[in-house]
Parts: sequence; structure tokens; C-alpha cells
Amino acid sequence: MAAPLLSAALRGARGGRSFGTAAVLWKRAAPLGPMPNEDVDVARLEELQRYRSFARYLRQAERAGREPRWWNTYRKHSHPPAEPQPDIGLPPERLSRAEELKERKRILRENRRNAEMERAARLRTVLIPLDEVRAEWERTSGPFHKQRVAKHCGLFRDLFRGATFTPWVALRVHYSQEDEYLVPVYYGNMVTPSEASSPPEVSYEADKGSLWTLLLTNPDGHLRDADSEYLHWLVTNIPGSDIKAGKEMCHYLPPFPAMGTGYHRFIFLLFKQHGPIDFSQDARPTPCYSLKMRTFSTFDFYRKHNDAMTPAGLAFFQCQWDSSVTSTFHQLLNMREPVFEFVRPPPFHPPQVKFPRHQPLRYLDRYRDTQEPTYGIY
Amino acid sequence: GFRFASTTASLKTETEVDTSENEIVAPNFTNRNPRNLEQMALARKERGWKTTWPKREFWHRLRLERTQHYVEAFVERSNGDVVVSASTREWAIKRHLYSPKGVAACRNLGRVIAQRCLEAGINFVNFKAIIPWEHRCDSIQEFEKAVKEGGVVLHEPRRIYR
Repeated sequence: MAAPLLSAALRGARGGRSFGTAAVLWKRAAPLGPMPNEDVDVARLEELQRYRSFARYLRQAERAGREPRWWNTYRKHSHPPAEPQPDIGLPPERLSRAEELKERKRILRENRRNAEMERAARLRTVLIPLDEVRAEWERTSGPFHKQRVAKHCGLFRDLFRGATFTPWVALRVHYSQEDEYLVPVYYGNMVTPSEASSPPEVSYEADKGSLWTLLLTNPDGHLRDADSEYLHWLVTNIPGSDIKAGKEMCHYLPPFPAMGTGYHRFIFLLFKQHGPIDFSQDARPTPCYSLKMRTFSTFDFYRKHNDAMTPAGLAFFQCQWDSSVTSTFHQLLNMREPVFEFVRPPPFHPPQVKFPRHQPLRYLDRYRDTQEPTYGIY
Repeated sequence: GFRFASTTASLKTETEVDTSENEIVAPNFTNRNPRNLEQMALARKERGWKTTWPKREFWHRLRLERTQHYVEAFVERSNGDVVVSASTREWAIKRHLYSPKGVAACRNLGRVIAQRCLEAGINFVNFKAIIPWEHRCDSIQEFEKAVKEGGVVLHEPRRIYR
């Protein structure tokens, strides 16, 4: 029965108007994988293990929803699997795992024997020291978490065209304000341009005799070309962690995200140099307020010095327009301030059909060039 | 129009050449920041999925998973990508706790994940997708209180349509 329908539809598809039939779309074939619930033995349902609680079922269902399937899923459609990206960072340090585990097991056993800790836990009064937790986190799982957040903010896609790195070196950046107030820069927090008007204090752990490069770029703010970035600060050949002793190739320019453009990312990149590098090609003149000279591409910069340095540290913040940006444009950059407005993409309407089915009268309004509403006029 | 300085190099005209080109600005500005639209409350939330539960109408969701041995908290996007996470499996948190499960662990995990969310710039998070009757249990209430005290707002702002 399927064969004559199939051949009729194919004949129609070759020439002339074909009549639409779903028989063309599917033909009998073996499934490409196991069908769901195939492993359930329907004859012996009483012997199956029950869920007994909704939470257990929900966890099982969510885990099963995340698994890859052989049929087309919305997940596969919206989230195509990414190719493995090259890793351009420093190799991870191989510490002796056995000793570390032994030490950790010892600490955990002591915790379990500690009566004070048990009392605090059972009375629910225990409060762990958050700064110690953060310090330990920065040493152990911090780099992976920072890499994950950076990936979701699109840093690797925009700066290095997909190549990722794990920021092993913890970069501590903070802007100091007038009344001894510190505005730290972590991985994605908000800082205003007035807070960021002077160069920040940067600190990181470095061996004596090692050389580093610090770079501050803005991949979102370019006023002419969407694919290039603005260079805000470049300090090279920094011995140890002393930023002042490094050679400043490009002096600090405070952030200037234009009004109406939303939040811009400002990214601090710390590169570890294998030896002294000559950066004379990237040197900008000392008062450099020309946006053309500050146009920058991290990918080309890194490709040029690929062999001599590797990215080791990362910190970034999100920045929005505020009134100090106006003075930056007028005084430092010597230009009129650009103001932008958000333009929504036009609403999508499918191609117009001569006899629309189940559509209201305002269907015609959607395709008319002028604005003549048929609704709300009486 | 713009006047460019002559080719004779002199210090005075160099600064003029430097900044006179700054005024050229493209009429259309593209912001590549993927977090920009959701921070301005202009990004779309996935409004479909009305016949299933949990709904996906959020930019970031806070999900607490309590297993037999550990407690984990994830902040994820509607497509499932985890942005910030904290769990009592991590050594940094486990070493200070008597037991990695239970109400005390949930409370401290709430404090830790609130700190990490604020560091990552996530100030608004959706915490609705918990099983309704489980919301009343002590550990989830303590977790919610700790996250609120940490400074993260537990409901997302409404999207700006006009």
C-alpha cells in the first residue's frame, strides 16, 4: 500500500504540482538506535524498582533529558556540539596526588572526631570562613570556574577565536577610590567608569626573575569596526609582580562605553613571558588619545608573540555608561560624544498567504507598508 | 568633511592628526557581549515550554541538588550551560564542614554561591523551579535565606518589551 502512494508522490515531485502527502517524508526503515523503554520488561512490572519519591524521578528525568539521543532533539538543534578547542595556556602543575589525598583524609577524620564541630553542625550554627574558602578555591578549582565563566561571556570566542586557556595565576585587580574604598575586579562584576578612571593596583604571585605582560582591552566598544578591540593599557616585561617596574607601552586610558550601547567587557590578560621580548612594534606614543592608534586585535598580538609568551591570568569586569564618560570623550579624546539607541529587530511574519486560516483581521496590517490599524478604531 | 594634516611632520600637526579621526563613528554599533542584552533586561526569555515543568522563562536559574552524600548548587542558563557552581564536594568547602549534607551545609553553600554569583556579575537569579512541597523544608529555606542575605535577588526583572 505504501509503494503506489510513494511512486505517485515522487512522480508529482518530478514535474507539475505534487499533492502533499506525508508518505513521501517517511519510509519504513529500522530505527537507528534503541527505542526508549526497550529495556523495561513489560511482563514483569511488579519486579521493577519504583521511584517512591518525586525528587528521585525528577533527577532521573533531567539527567535523561541531557543525554545525547539518536533522534533529533531540541537540544541538538539549538546547541550544536562544539569542536574541541586548542588550549593555549600553561600546562597544569602535576602535584603528587597521593600525599594530598592522605592529608585531606586526615583532616576530614579529625573533623568527624571534633565534638565542637558536631555540636555546631547539629545546632545549625556553623558558619564557614568565606575568605579562607575563597583562598583555597582560588588554588584548587578557581581556574576552572573562571574559565567556564569566561567562556560564557564569550571572551575566548572574541579574543582568541575559540582557543581557550585555564587561568592558573590568580590575578587580583582592584581600583582604589578616594576614601580608601576598594572596588575589586573579579570575573564579570560591574564597575563604573568613574570608579575605573585611574590605573588599578594589580597583584599576583610570581617567581623572582620571571617576566610578565599585562593587557587591558575592550572587545565591545569599537566605534567603527565591530571585530576589533580598543587597547586601554599595555605594560610589558614586568619583573616579578612589580607593575611599576615594567615598561608601559601604552598608557592607561579610562573606559568609555558609549551611552545606549549597554554593558562592555573590559578584560585584563596576564601573559607569562619565557624571556625578554621586544615590543617596540606595539609601542604607542605617550599621550595616545587617537582611537585609530588604540585599535587592537588580541589575536594578532598573541599570534605575533606566540612562541615567547602564554596567557596565564584573567580578570574582567562589565562597564556601563556614566557621566564621567562624557568628560573622557570631550577632554581626553577631543571628540563629540556618540549616543546610540537600541534598535529592536523587526518582528518576523511568515510569507503572506492568499487565504489565511484562523487569522484575525489584523493579519492584513502585518503586511501593509503604511500604519492603518483595523483594530481599536471604533 | 574632515581635514587631514599635511604630510610635513611637525609636532603641532601630529596631535591634530591623532584626534581628528576620532570623530568618524559608524552609524550602527554592534555589541558582541553575550551578557549585554540580559543585563539590560532586553534579551528574550524562552517563553514556550508552557505544557511542561520546570519552565525555562529565565536568564539564569539557581538549582539546588541534594543527594544522599553531598549538596550542590548550580546557576545555569536556559539551555543548560552551568555558569557558576558550588558544591560540598569541593575541598575548599568540605574541609570546614562536619558533614557535607544537611541544613548547615545548605546554609553555608548558600553563602558561598551568593559570593560567587556576585563576583561573576549575576545579581538576579530565578529560584522558582523547585518542587513546590519541598520548598518548605528547613535546608532549602536556610539556603534561600543565606543566598538572599548574600545579596543575590531571587527573582529576575521583567523583560522590557517596548
